[in-house]
Formats: sequence, C-alpha cells, structure tokens
Amino acid sequence: MSDQIAAARADGRQTLTEAEGKRLLADAGVAVPSFEVCASADAAVEAAEAIGFPVVVKVSSPAVTHKSEWADGAGVAVGLDSPAAVADAATRIFEAAAERGVDAEVLVEQAQDVDAGTEVIVGGLRDPSFGPVVLTGLGGVFTEVFEDTSHRLAPVDRREARAAIEELQAARLLEGYRGSDPVDVDALAAVVEAVGDLVTEHSIAELDVNPVLATADGAVALDALVVLEDGA
Amino acid sequence: MFDPTAVAVVGASQTEGKVGYEAMVNAAEFDGPAYPVNPSGSGTMFGEPFVDSVADVDDAVDLALLCLPGPAVPEVLDECGAAGVGAAVIYASGFAEAGEEGEQLQATVVERANEHGIALLGPNTSGFVVPETSLLCSFASGVDEIPTGNTAVVAQSGGVALVLAFQTRRQGRGVSATVGLGNRANVGFVEAIEYFDGHEGTDAIVLHVEGTDDGRALLETCRNVDTPVVAYKVGQSDVGEFAASHTGALTGDHALYEAGFAQYGVPTVDATDHLLDAAAALGDSPIPDGPNVGVVTAQAGPGIIITDRIQRAGGVLPELTAETRDRVGEILPGITYADNPVDTGRPMPAFGEVVTAVAEDDNVDIVLVYELFEQALGFPVEELDGLAERVDKPVLFATEGIEADLAEDRAALEEAGVPVFETPERAAQAAAVLARYARFHAAGVDAEVSADV
Repeated sequence: MSDQIAAARADGRQTLTEAEGKRLLADAGVAVPSFEVCASADAAVEAAEAIGFPVVVKVSSPAVTHKSEWADGAGVAVGLDSPAAVADAATRIFEAAAERGVDAEVLVEQAQDVDAGTEVIVGGLRDPSFGPVVLTGLGGVFTEVFEDTSHRLAPVDRREARAAIEELQAARLLEGYRGSDPVDVDALAAVVEAVGDLVTEHSIAELDVNPVLATADGAVALDALVVLEDGA
Repeated sequence: MFDPTAVAVVGASQTEGKVGYEAMVNAAEFDGPAYPVNPSGSGTMFGEPFVDSVADVDDAVDLALLCLPGPAVPEVLDECGAAGVGAAVIYASGFAEAGEEGEQLQATVVERANEHGIALLGPNTSGFVVPETSLLCSFASGVDEIPTGNTAVVAQSGGVALVLAFQTRRQGRGVSATVGLGNRANVGFVEAIEYFDGHEGTDAIVLHVEGTDDGRALLETCRNVDTPVVAYKVGQSDVGEFAASHTGALTGDHALYEAGFAQYGVPTVDATDHLLDAAAALGDSPIPDGPNVGVVTAQAGPGIIITDRIQRAGGVLPELTAETRDRVGEILPGITYADNPVDTGRPMPAFGEVVTAVAEDDNVDIVLVYELFEQALGFPVEELDGLAERVDKPVLFATEGIEADLAEDRAALEEAGVPVFETPERAAQAAAVLARYARFHAAGVDAEVSADV
C-alpha cells in the first residue's frame, strides 16, 4: 500500500486530500506542480517564496473535497503574485475553516499557465463487471457535452494508452491547432498508463485527474481526486 | 451438455402446446435416445414409456431437459444428481430476472447443481440446438429445420439464439449450435465459449451480449481462445448518468464493452445479420494479415457503395502494385478502372482472371468481389475454387439476381468455401470485420494486455 493510501486508511478516510493524491501520482511518475502543505499563513508565504510566484493557494482538508465551492470561494485563490496576496488568501482559508470547525491546512502550489496547453481528463475506476478501467477525454465541453471519451481496461501499456488518446474525436486539437504547438502525446499517454496502473495496483474505487494540462513540453496533473474502495 | 448420449425430458407431456410436449417432440429427433419423465404421465411417447423419475430410466441419461415450474426444479436436480446426470436445461422463468424470491430460487438451484456437479443452462431460456446430431433441446417449433453450419451462436437471450439460428437457415449457412444462455445459472459465456472453441465443427463463435456481471472474464476468455469471436453488444442507448463530468458517471456499460472487445481482439457489430455475416467471413476464410481490401467489381455503382462502406467501417483500400495494374490491363485492355476497386464494367469471361490478379497482389490482405449474375456467364467458380487457400487470404463474394437462376452457381461457390453475401453493404461490413480482426491480431492483442490482473 502506498504511504498516502495507508495514511488515509489509518485516519479512517476513504478520500485522499489533493496533496496526498498528487504525491500518489508523483510517486507513479506523473508530473505535478511544485507544492507544499502549510499549517500557517507565515509558512504559506515562505513556501510561496521557495516555489516562486505566481502561486495558487487552496484549502487542504480531508473534510473539503469541492475546494472551489467551499466557503464562498475562499477555498481556492489563483494567480497570487506577492507574499501579501499569499498571506491574505491563506488567512482567509484558516479563518473560514475555524468558523466551520474544520481542521484545515493550505496547499501552496506553483501556478500553471493553462492557456499554454490543453486540458485533458484522465480517470481511473474499478468497475464491478470489468475491474480496473481507465478513461480519457478532453476537458470541458468535449467531455461534458459531446461525451467524447475513450475507455480501456487497465492496465494498459504506452501504445494502448496512445491509442485511447488518438481515438478521441477531439484528438486533432492535440496535434496543434491555430498555430499552437503539438502536445507531447507520449507524456499524456504516460499519465493514462500510470492512472491505469494505480487503479489496478491499489484499492482505489475512483481516481480523477481533472485536469491534466497537456503541453508541448509534457503533461502535468493539476488536480487529483482519489476515492478508496470500501473497507479493504 | 452439448454432446450427450441419452436425454431425459422431465415434465414431458402428451398435451399439445405445453412446453413439455414441444420439448419432447423436438428431443425425440435426437440421434440418441430421449426418455419421457413425468409421474403423472402414462403410456409412451415416441416409443419410450413414461417413468416417474430420471432415476427410473434404464439408461445412462446425461442430459435432462426440465420442463417444470421453477419451484419444482431443486428437487428434480437432486434426483438428477443421484442418477448421475451431468447437465440440465431449465426453461422456466421466474428466477433471478423476477425479483428477490426468484433470485433466491436461482441461488438454491445453483447450489444444488454445484453440489451434484450438474452444468445448468438457463433458467429462463429457450434452450439449445445442435443440428448435426439433431439434438433439439428447445421447445420452439421449427428448430428441426435449422441446418448444420460452422458458426456457434452463443446468445444471452433464448429468443435471440433462435432469431440468429433461423436467420442462418434462410442464408443457407446453418449453425454448429445455437445456445440461449438465459440467466446463466452456472453455464455462462465463459463456459460456452470455451466449449465451442474446442468443438471440431465450430469455426467461428458469435456472441449476443446484453450485459454480464463479469465482463473481464468474458473478455479474457475471448482473448484466450483460438476460434475467432465476433460480438453484438446490445444497449447502446442505455448510457447511464452522463450528466456529471465525473468518471463514474461517464463510464457507461456499453462503452466499456465496446472498448473492451476491441482491446481484447473481438470485432463488434450492431445487427444480427452483420453478426452472422462476420462469422461466415471469419469462419470460412484464412485469417487475413492486415486490413487492406482489394475490391473487384463488375458494376461501378455497387463497387462504390462497397468502397465507401469498407473505409467507414475500419478497412483500407490500398493502391494495387504496378505489376497488378499491368496484369489487369493486359487481361482487359481499356478497362474502366484498373486501380482499387478494379471495375471491369460488366461481367465477362476474364472476370475470374482479374480476381486472381488482385488476390495475388502483395498490397491486398482481403479480396471482395461483386458481380451481378449474368445467365450466359455464371460466376467464375473454377477460378475462385481454392483461390483463398492458395493466396492465404479471405475471398468474399457478393451478388444479386434471380435466386433460382443463380442458385446452382451460388451453391458451387459456397461449396468451394467462398462466403457469399446478398447486398453490397453486408459484404462490405463483413470485409471490414475481417480488416478489424486482422488489425487487432496483427497488433499483437494477445500480448498487449498483461495477464496478471
């Protein structure tokens, strides 16, 4: 069992925090932005200075899964480019948590230029009939409206993972569109492969990496939601 | 189950229209003995006297057809177990498909069967038919007319098993067996596929799938068998809750079946006739090395339909080699169109030579021929006989005309092992299934999914 999953199990939790989820992904070889979990506003500022501005600050608590909707939007602050902005955002999170009686820390993370890439959803789940499965889809309307997703039974090798990406209707967007550089599809396929392996090897019910930012230089997991199986 | 020496019909009845009557009438066709069992029966049926219990049959019965209401089944299974019967068909409904009480009854039945080592087909099925031995374990009328062929039909629904079997009769093809799995008590897809993979008379297996609770085992079985498998998964419109952008909700059952079948080397189709056409193409042909289809047509229009259809369904129309083009040009100077498809413009004596030239082209993995029947010329049977084996590629043929006029030539083609199709679309779909099958298997599907899951 991975350390992250063991920690959650020890707490009696079925859901990993974003930080735990990202460490799980990072241990599986998936690129994640530099981040640090901090217990105070001062520590958050220190972390931001170490990571380099701009940064994103998010609430980090097992009690909060929908961070952006939490506490009237206090849960996620993006584009913070100064120590003061980081201190403010972190303080708001700690205050909101205190008001709600939630035990929370803050996640300070290197900001990513989402316009520089394409957002992709990579998901893993354990299906009652098929066992571990991995899903790939382009973010936003492509998945939600056009249902443009592809599936594979996990585990998958790199070639199968690439095929899962290339069969998407929207795959052409990854090849470069209106002057944008083609995406590093192999790096993206490596994420699909890693998610397939994770859901195969661990007692994971569901693993959503939404989104993965796919760029010409690689693929970075910007968020991670991991739900463990009952019991186990 | 599918190869018994003696059959007992439990609940056999002399009242026409009852399941026990129809099942006995059909069972009596069997090449081996069929015994009527019913404590309230008297006299004989088809020369065999009624007995009270399977145990009273003076023969080693190894298959029992249970024409009984569900609640009577557990006790009869105990009798079968004591009598050493190894297989039984349960026709009755009212089991797992019918709520909690039925589920419990099915659990009881499976438990008893497993205790006695009895393989159970059903419940809730029309049974199965093996035409070769006239083993008609079905209460449906007309099953005695289903001809022997080399396709095994494994359908989740007993009704669909019959739909497919009767269709093969009209197509002049037949089945090696047609099996309706019904509720899959302890004989399911896995067991049926494994059995027919080892069955000498079966060259292709077709599956009708509505949904099963162990999809992975089904796929792994398909990958592990040598016999080509084609599947028709029903239920595309039932896509679950697509509302949320959420992996669980996005993963409809159907999408997983389609993706899984492709990943495990099973081409899928979406119609019963395409399923049987695919089986005819795969079962009667060498396995192609690739997805490249060479089309030869005597009429341009059907050739265009075929070309369009093949490409949309996953096949490729390669350029022919310069050598082949020269060869075709020599056979038919001034030919209408000598690339792929080769269009001879009309049937002609040299048509078969053109087909041979295309079949021998190194760029071609699969050959599809279209020709309207021309009374004065007939089909190029002599040229096509043995061609597929010689070039080690599938050669498919599609035609149209007056049935009676072309019957003899068509039969000769089929006799020579050339699968014949009735519309350009169906021939093209079949060629495309061959192409997809070749693609899956050339890509090394057998090695791609690790086996240690």
